[in-house]
Amino acid sequence: MNASLKLLLVLLISLEVSFTQSLSANLILITGSLFYLMIHKTSFRSLLLLGVVPFLPALGLFVTIYYFSPDHDLHFAWVLFTRMYVYVTAGASFTLTSTPLDLALSLEQNWHLPSKFAYGTLAAFNMLPKIKSAIVTIRTAGLMRGIVLSWWSPQLYFKAILVALNWSENLAQAMISHGFVEDQPRTFYRQIKITIIDYSMLIVIILAIQLPIWLLP
Amino acid sequence: MNQRARWHVRDIILLALIGILFGVIFLGTNFIYDGLTVALTPVGLAPLANDISMGLWIMAGPLAGFMLRIPGAGFLGEFLAAVGEMFFGGQWGASTMISGAIQGVAIELGFTLTGYRFYNWITLLLTTLTSTVGTFAWDMFRNGYAAFSPKMLFLLLVVRFISIFFFGGILVKLITSLLERSHVLHR
Repeated sequence: MNASLKLLLVLLISLEVSFTQSLSANLILITGSLFYLMIHKTSFRSLLLLGVVPFLPALGLFVTIYYFSPDHDLHFAWVLFTRMYVYVTAGASFTLTSTPLDLALSLEQNWHLPSKFAYGTLAAFNMLPKIKSAIVTIRTAGLMRGIVLSWWSPQLYFKAILVALNWSENLAQAMISHGFVEDQPRTFYRQIKITIIDYSMLIVIILAIQLPIWLLP
Repeated sequence: MNQRARWHVRDIILLALIGILFGVIFLGTNFIYDGLTVALTPVGLAPLANDISMGLWIMAGPLAGFMLRIPGAGFLGEFLAAVGEMFFGGQWGASTMISGAIQGVAIELGFTLTGYRFYNWITLLLTTLTSTVGTFAWDMFRNGYAAFSPKMLFLLLVVRFISIFFFGGILVKLITSLLERSHVLHR
Protein backbone atom coordinates (compact mmCIF):
# COMPACT_ATOMS: atom_id res chain seq x y z
CA MET A 1 0.00 0.00 0.00
CA ASN A 2 1.13 3.54 -0.73
CA ALA A 3 3.09 4.86 2.27
CA SER A 4 1.25 8.14 2.81
CA LEU A 5 -2.19 6.51 2.45
CA LYS A 6 -1.14 3.82 4.91
CA LEU A 7 -0.08 6.53 7.36
CA LEU A 8 -3.38 8.33 6.82
CA LEU A 9 -5.27 5.10 7.54
CA VAL A 10 -3.30 4.47 10.74
CA LEU A 11 -3.82 8.06 11.90
CA LEU A 12 -7.56 7.96 11.18
CA ILE A 13 -7.93 4.70 13.09
CA SER A 14 -5.88 6.01 16.03
CA LEU A 15 -7.95 9.18 16.14
CA GLU A 16 -11.23 7.36 16.01
CA VAL A 17 -10.40 4.88 18.78
CA SER A 18 -9.27 7.81 20.95
CA PHE A 19 -12.78 9.21 20.91
CA THR A 20 -14.82 5.99 21.00
CA GLN A 21 -15.10 3.20 23.55
CA SER A 22 -15.51 -0.16 21.85
CA LEU A 23 -13.53 -3.03 23.32
CA SER A 24 -14.36 -5.44 20.49
CA ALA A 25 -13.29 -2.93 17.84
CA ASN A 26 -9.97 -2.51 19.67
CA LEU A 27 -9.43 -6.29 19.73
CA ILE A 28 -10.30 -6.59 16.03
CA LEU A 29 -7.87 -3.78 15.20
CA ILE A 30 -5.06 -5.37 17.23
CA THR A 31 -5.64 -8.76 15.59
CA GLY A 32 -5.81 -7.18 12.14
CA SER A 33 -2.59 -5.23 12.67
CA LEU A 34 -0.74 -8.29 13.98
CA PHE A 35 -2.00 -10.31 11.01
CA TYR A 36 -0.79 -7.60 8.62
CA LEU A 37 2.60 -7.57 10.32
CA MET A 38 2.88 -11.36 10.06
CA ILE A 39 2.14 -11.31 6.32
CA HIS A 40 4.99 -8.86 6.00
CA LYS A 41 7.31 -11.33 7.75
CA THR A 42 7.98 -9.24 10.83
CA SER A 43 10.43 -11.03 13.11
CA PHE A 44 9.08 -12.77 16.20
CA ARG A 45 11.31 -10.58 18.34
CA SER A 46 9.73 -7.33 17.08
CA LEU A 47 6.25 -8.75 17.63
CA LEU A 48 7.18 -9.72 21.18
CA LEU A 49 8.53 -6.22 21.77
CA LEU A 50 5.17 -4.78 20.67
CA GLY A 51 3.55 -6.79 23.43
CA VAL A 52 6.02 -5.73 26.11
CA VAL A 53 6.53 -2.02 25.38
CA PRO A 54 3.01 -0.68 26.09
CA PHE A 55 2.32 -3.11 28.93
CA LEU A 56 3.35 -0.89 31.87
CA PRO A 57 1.50 2.29 30.82
CA ALA A 58 -1.55 0.24 29.81
CA LEU A 59 -1.57 -1.58 33.15
CA GLY A 60 -1.12 1.71 35.01
CA LEU A 61 -4.18 3.18 33.28
CA PHE A 62 -6.20 0.02 33.86
CA VAL A 63 -5.49 -0.04 37.59
CA THR A 64 -6.19 3.68 37.98
CA ILE A 65 -9.50 3.54 36.16
CA TYR A 66 -10.77 0.28 37.67
CA TYR A 67 -9.65 0.65 41.28
CA PHE A 68 -9.27 4.37 41.85
CA SER A 69 -11.69 6.29 39.60
CA PRO A 70 -15.11 7.22 41.04
CA ASP A 71 -17.05 4.80 38.75
CA HIS A 72 -14.81 1.68 38.90
CA ASP A 73 -15.74 1.07 35.28
CA LEU A 74 -14.25 -2.31 34.23
CA HIS A 75 -15.30 -1.98 30.59
CA PHE A 76 -13.68 1.45 30.24
CA ALA A 77 -10.55 0.15 31.98
CA TRP A 78 -10.24 -2.62 29.38
CA VAL A 79 -10.95 -0.16 26.58
CA LEU A 80 -8.03 2.03 27.71
CA PHE A 81 -5.79 -1.02 28.18
CA THR A 82 -6.44 -2.30 24.66
CA ARG A 83 -6.35 1.22 23.20
CA MET A 84 -2.63 1.44 24.03
CA TYR A 85 -2.12 -1.77 22.07
CA VAL A 86 -4.15 -0.45 19.12
CA TYR A 87 -1.87 2.60 18.96
CA VAL A 88 1.28 0.53 19.06
CA THR A 89 0.27 -2.33 16.74
CA ALA A 90 -1.40 -0.04 14.19
CA GLY A 91 1.59 2.29 14.33
CA ALA A 92 3.96 -0.63 13.86
CA SER A 93 2.02 -1.83 10.80
CA PHE A 94 3.10 1.45 9.29
CA THR A 95 6.60 1.99 10.70
CA LEU A 96 7.80 -1.61 10.37
CA THR A 97 6.63 -1.93 6.76
CA SER A 98 7.54 1.50 5.33
CA THR A 99 10.74 3.52 5.43
CA PRO A 100 11.10 7.28 5.93
CA LEU A 101 12.23 7.40 2.28
CA ASP A 102 8.95 5.82 1.05
CA LEU A 103 6.99 8.34 3.06
CA ALA A 104 9.04 11.37 1.97
CA LEU A 105 8.82 10.43 -1.71
CA SER A 106 5.09 9.78 -1.49
CA LEU A 107 4.36 13.02 0.38
CA GLU A 108 6.39 14.99 -2.14
CA GLN A 109 4.96 13.40 -5.30
CA ASN A 110 1.39 12.61 -4.27
CA TRP A 111 0.61 15.42 -1.85
CA HIS A 112 2.89 18.21 -3.14
CA LEU A 113 4.89 18.65 0.03
CA PRO A 114 7.64 21.18 -0.86
CA SER A 115 10.79 19.24 -1.74
CA LYS A 116 12.86 21.18 0.81
CA PHE A 117 10.74 19.69 3.60
CA ALA A 118 10.78 16.18 2.14
CA TYR A 119 14.53 16.00 1.57
CA GLY A 120 15.52 18.24 4.48
CA THR A 121 13.90 16.01 7.09
CA LEU A 122 15.03 12.89 5.26
CA ALA A 123 18.63 14.12 5.38
CA ALA A 124 18.32 14.66 9.12
CA PHE A 125 16.65 11.29 9.79
CA ASN A 126 19.42 9.50 7.97
CA MET A 127 21.91 10.98 10.45
CA LEU A 128 20.36 9.06 13.35
CA PRO A 129 23.26 6.63 13.93
CA LYS A 130 25.73 9.54 13.89
CA ILE A 131 23.55 11.51 16.29
CA LYS A 132 23.56 8.64 18.75
CA SER A 133 27.34 8.41 18.67
CA ALA A 134 27.68 12.22 18.89
CA ILE A 135 25.76 12.23 22.18
CA VAL A 136 27.88 9.41 23.55
CA THR A 137 30.99 11.38 22.53
CA ILE A 138 29.77 14.56 24.26
CA ARG A 139 29.03 12.69 27.46
CA THR A 140 32.33 10.81 27.42
CA ALA A 141 34.28 14.00 26.73
CA GLY A 142 32.57 15.51 29.77
CA LEU A 143 33.40 12.52 31.94
CA MET A 144 37.07 12.75 30.96
CA ARG A 145 37.12 16.20 32.53
CA GLY A 146 35.22 14.94 35.54
CA ILE A 147 31.91 16.54 34.48
CA VAL A 148 28.76 14.44 34.45
CA LEU A 149 26.34 15.67 31.78
CA SER A 150 22.95 14.29 32.73
CA TRP A 151 19.76 14.65 30.74
CA TRP A 152 18.66 17.71 32.65
CA SER A 153 21.90 19.67 32.25
CA PRO A 154 21.66 22.59 29.77
CA GLN A 155 25.29 22.01 28.74
CA LEU A 156 24.42 18.63 27.21
CA TYR A 157 21.71 20.17 25.06
CA PHE A 158 23.88 23.17 24.24
CA LYS A 159 26.69 20.98 22.95
CA ALA A 160 24.29 18.74 21.06
CA ILE A 161 22.73 21.80 19.41
CA LEU A 162 26.17 23.06 18.38
CA VAL A 163 26.69 19.73 16.63
CA ALA A 164 23.25 20.03 14.99
CA LEU A 165 23.98 23.58 13.79
CA ASN A 166 27.22 22.39 12.24
CA TRP A 167 25.67 19.37 10.55
CA SER A 168 22.65 21.23 9.23
CA GLU A 169 24.97 23.72 7.57
CA ASN A 170 27.09 20.92 6.08
CA LEU A 171 24.11 18.87 4.90
CA ALA A 172 22.48 21.92 3.29
CA GLN A 173 25.77 22.77 1.53
CA ALA A 174 26.10 19.17 0.38
CA MET A 175 22.56 19.15 -1.02
CA ILE A 176 23.10 22.45 -2.84
CA SER A 177 26.40 21.29 -4.30
CA HIS A 178 24.61 18.19 -5.61
CA GLY A 179 22.25 20.43 -7.55
CA PHE A 180 19.36 20.79 -5.10
CA VAL A 181 17.62 24.14 -5.57
CA GLU A 182 14.82 25.16 -3.21
CA ASP A 183 11.37 25.73 -4.67
CA GLN A 184 12.31 24.56 -8.16
CA PRO A 185 10.32 21.91 -10.05
CA ARG A 186 11.95 18.48 -9.95
CA THR A 187 11.67 15.32 -12.03
CA PHE A 188 11.57 11.92 -10.39
CA TYR A 189 13.59 8.83 -11.08
CA ARG A 190 11.48 6.73 -8.74
CA GLN A 191 7.84 7.50 -9.43
CA ILE A 192 5.31 6.89 -6.66
CA LYS A 193 1.69 6.47 -7.67
CA ILE A 194 -1.49 6.06 -5.70
CA THR A 195 -3.53 3.36 -7.41
CA ILE A 196 -7.24 2.75 -7.28
CA ILE A 197 -6.46 -0.32 -5.11
CA ASP A 198 -4.80 1.93 -2.50
CA TYR A 199 -7.83 4.17 -2.33
CA SER A 200 -10.29 1.29 -2.17
CA MET A 201 -8.28 -0.42 0.60
CA LEU A 202 -8.35 2.79 2.63
CA ILE A 203 -12.09 3.26 2.18
CA VAL A 204 -13.03 -0.40 2.72
CA ILE A 205 -10.99 -0.71 5.94
CA ILE A 206 -12.34 2.56 7.33
CA LEU A 207 -15.93 1.56 6.53
CA ALA A 208 -15.49 -1.98 7.84
CA ILE A 209 -14.22 -0.79 11.20
CA GLN A 210 -17.19 1.55 11.74
CA LEU A 211 -19.49 -1.43 12.38
CA PRO A 212 -17.77 -2.81 15.49
CA ILE A 213 -16.83 0.66 16.72
CA TRP A 214 -20.40 1.91 16.82
CA LEU A 215 -22.42 -1.31 17.26
CA LEU A 216 -20.40 -3.62 19.52
CA PRO A 217 -19.45 -2.79 23.15
CA MET B 1 8.94 39.80 13.33
CA ASN B 2 12.06 38.24 11.96
CA GLN B 3 13.26 39.65 8.67
CA ARG B 4 14.18 36.34 7.11
CA ALA B 5 10.92 34.71 8.11
CA ARG B 6 11.14 32.08 5.40
CA TRP B 7 11.99 28.43 5.58
CA HIS B 8 15.28 27.34 4.11
CA VAL B 9 16.45 23.79 3.76
CA ARG B 10 19.15 24.51 6.37
CA ASP B 11 16.53 25.45 8.99
CA ILE B 12 14.43 22.41 8.19
CA ILE B 13 17.40 20.08 8.61
CA LEU B 14 18.32 21.84 11.85
CA LEU B 15 14.82 21.43 13.30
CA ALA B 16 14.66 17.77 12.36
CA LEU B 17 18.14 17.19 13.82
CA ILE B 18 17.14 18.87 17.09
CA GLY B 19 14.01 16.76 17.24
CA ILE B 20 16.02 13.59 16.78
CA LEU B 21 18.68 14.71 19.28
CA PHE B 22 16.03 15.20 21.91
CA GLY B 23 14.51 11.86 21.01
CA VAL B 24 17.86 10.15 21.49
CA ILE B 25 18.47 11.81 24.85
CA PHE B 26 14.98 10.89 26.03
CA LEU B 27 15.24 7.26 24.94
CA GLY B 28 17.55 7.07 27.94
CA THR B 29 14.87 8.60 30.14
CA ASN B 30 12.10 6.15 29.28
CA PHE B 31 13.06 4.18 32.37
CA ILE B 32 12.06 7.24 34.44
CA TYR B 33 8.55 7.17 33.00
CA ASP B 34 8.27 3.40 33.42
CA GLY B 35 9.73 3.55 36.92
CA LEU B 36 7.30 6.29 37.90
CA THR B 37 4.41 4.26 36.49
CA VAL B 38 5.42 1.21 38.52
CA ALA B 39 5.83 3.28 41.67
CA LEU B 40 2.57 5.19 41.26
CA THR B 41 0.27 2.37 40.10
CA PRO B 42 -0.37 0.82 43.55
CA VAL B 43 -1.53 4.20 44.93
CA GLY B 44 -3.77 4.84 41.92
CA LEU B 45 -1.76 7.74 40.54
CA ALA B 46 -0.26 6.05 37.47
CA PRO B 47 -1.37 8.86 35.09
CA LEU B 48 0.79 11.23 37.15
CA ALA B 49 3.83 9.68 35.45
CA ASN B 50 2.47 11.02 32.17
CA ASP B 51 2.11 14.52 33.59
CA ILE B 52 5.51 14.51 35.28
CA SER B 53 7.22 13.54 32.01
CA MET B 54 5.18 15.90 29.83
CA GLY B 55 7.70 18.73 30.12
CA LEU B 56 10.45 16.53 28.71
CA TRP B 57 8.35 15.53 25.73
CA ILE B 58 7.45 19.05 24.69
CA MET B 59 10.92 20.62 25.09
CA ALA B 60 11.79 20.50 21.39
CA GLY B 61 8.94 22.87 20.48
CA PRO B 62 9.71 25.91 22.67
CA LEU B 63 13.42 25.48 21.99
CA ALA B 64 12.89 25.48 18.21
CA GLY B 65 10.65 28.54 18.50
CA PHE B 66 13.26 30.43 20.54
CA MET B 67 16.18 29.43 18.34
CA LEU B 68 14.75 30.12 14.89
CA ARG B 69 12.15 32.80 15.67
CA ILE B 70 10.19 32.01 12.51
CA PRO B 71 6.41 31.59 12.73
CA GLY B 72 5.71 27.86 12.68
CA ALA B 73 9.08 26.85 14.16
CA GLY B 74 7.51 25.80 17.46
CA PHE B 75 5.02 23.58 15.73
CA LEU B 76 7.46 22.08 13.26
CA GLY B 77 10.14 21.40 15.88
CA GLU B 78 7.70 19.49 18.05
CA PHE B 79 6.02 17.69 15.17
CA LEU B 80 9.27 16.53 13.55
CA ALA B 81 10.49 15.28 16.92
CA ALA B 82 7.32 13.19 17.17
CA VAL B 83 7.69 11.81 13.63
CA GLY B 84 11.28 10.88 14.41
CA GLU B 85 10.21 9.18 17.62
CA MET B 86 7.53 7.24 15.78
CA PHE B 87 10.01 5.84 13.26
CA PHE B 88 12.72 5.03 15.75
CA GLY B 89 10.78 2.87 18.13
CA GLY B 90 8.80 5.14 20.39
CA GLN B 91 6.57 3.66 23.04
CA TRP B 92 3.34 5.03 21.62
CA GLY B 93 3.21 4.10 17.96
CA ALA B 94 0.97 6.11 15.68
CA SER B 95 -0.55 8.21 18.42
CA THR B 96 2.89 9.83 18.88
CA MET B 97 2.31 11.69 15.65
CA ILE B 98 -1.15 12.88 16.69
CA SER B 99 0.14 13.91 20.13
CA GLY B 100 3.07 15.65 18.43
CA ALA B 101 0.75 17.63 16.19
CA ILE B 102 -1.45 18.64 19.14
CA GLN B 103 1.53 19.58 21.30
CA GLY B 104 2.99 21.51 18.37
CA VAL B 105 -0.17 23.51 17.80
CA ALA B 106 -0.48 24.21 21.53
CA ILE B 107 3.11 25.46 21.77
CA GLU B 108 2.85 27.51 18.59
CA LEU B 109 -0.25 29.19 20.00
CA GLY B 110 1.88 30.60 22.82
CA PHE B 111 4.24 32.20 20.31
CA THR B 112 1.30 33.44 18.23
CA LEU B 113 -0.13 35.23 21.27
CA THR B 114 3.05 37.35 21.42
CA GLY B 115 2.63 38.19 17.72
CA TYR B 116 6.19 36.79 17.27
CA ARG B 117 7.46 40.16 18.51
CA PHE B 118 9.23 39.34 21.75
CA TYR B 119 10.98 36.30 23.12
CA ASN B 120 11.35 36.45 26.89
CA TRP B 121 9.91 34.99 30.10
CA ILE B 122 6.41 36.14 29.16
CA THR B 123 6.68 34.11 25.96
CA LEU B 124 7.78 31.07 27.93
CA LEU B 125 4.95 31.52 30.38
CA LEU B 126 2.47 31.77 27.49
CA THR B 127 3.79 28.66 25.71
CA THR B 128 3.71 26.81 29.05
CA LEU B 129 0.09 27.82 29.57
CA THR B 130 -1.09 26.98 26.07
CA SER B 131 0.74 23.66 25.95
CA THR B 132 -0.53 22.66 29.42
CA VAL B 133 -4.12 23.33 28.45
CA GLY B 134 -3.82 21.88 24.93
CA THR B 135 -2.18 18.60 25.91
CA PHE B 136 -4.47 18.21 28.90
CA ALA B 137 -7.56 18.53 26.74
CA TRP B 138 -6.20 15.82 24.45
CA ASP B 139 -5.52 13.51 27.41
CA MET B 140 -9.12 13.91 28.57
CA PHE B 141 -9.93 11.63 25.63
CA ARG B 142 -6.77 9.71 24.82
CA ASN B 143 -5.92 8.58 28.34
CA GLY B 144 -9.45 8.62 29.70
CA TYR B 145 -8.78 11.53 32.09
CA ALA B 146 -12.48 12.39 31.88
CA ALA B 147 -13.22 9.45 34.19
CA PHE B 148 -11.13 10.81 37.08
CA SER B 149 -12.38 12.75 40.08
CA PRO B 150 -12.05 16.56 39.97
CA LYS B 151 -9.46 16.48 42.79
CA MET B 152 -7.28 14.09 40.81
CA LEU B 153 -7.67 16.18 37.64
CA PHE B 154 -6.57 19.30 39.49
CA LEU B 155 -3.49 17.52 40.83
CA LEU B 156 -2.62 16.25 37.34
CA LEU B 157 -3.08 19.70 35.80
CA VAL B 158 -0.87 21.42 38.37
CA VAL B 159 1.87 18.79 38.07
CA ARG B 160 1.74 19.06 34.29
CA PHE B 161 2.07 22.85 34.44
CA ILE B 162 5.10 22.62 36.74
CA SER B 163 6.74 19.98 34.58
CA ILE B 164 6.24 21.95 31.36
CA PHE B 165 7.40 25.15 33.05
CA PHE B 166 10.55 23.47 34.35
CA PHE B 167 11.63 21.64 31.18
CA GLY B 168 9.95 23.70 28.45
CA GLY B 169 10.51 26.97 30.30
CA ILE B 170 13.50 27.15 32.65
CA LEU B 171 15.67 24.56 30.91
CA VAL B 172 14.89 25.98 27.45
CA LYS B 173 15.77 29.47 28.70
CA LEU B 174 19.08 28.22 30.12
CA ILE B 175 19.93 26.47 26.84
CA THR B 176 19.03 29.46 24.67
CA SER B 177 21.01 31.87 26.84
CA LEU B 178 24.05 29.59 26.45
CA LEU B 179 23.48 29.76 22.69
CA GLU B 180 23.07 33.55 22.79
CA ARG B 181 26.27 34.01 24.76
CA SER B 182 28.23 31.94 22.28
CA HIS B 183 26.91 33.91 19.27
CA VAL B 184 26.25 30.81 17.19
CA LEU B 185 22.75 31.84 16.12
CA HIS B 186 22.82 34.00 13.00
CA ARG B 187 19.68 36.04 13.35
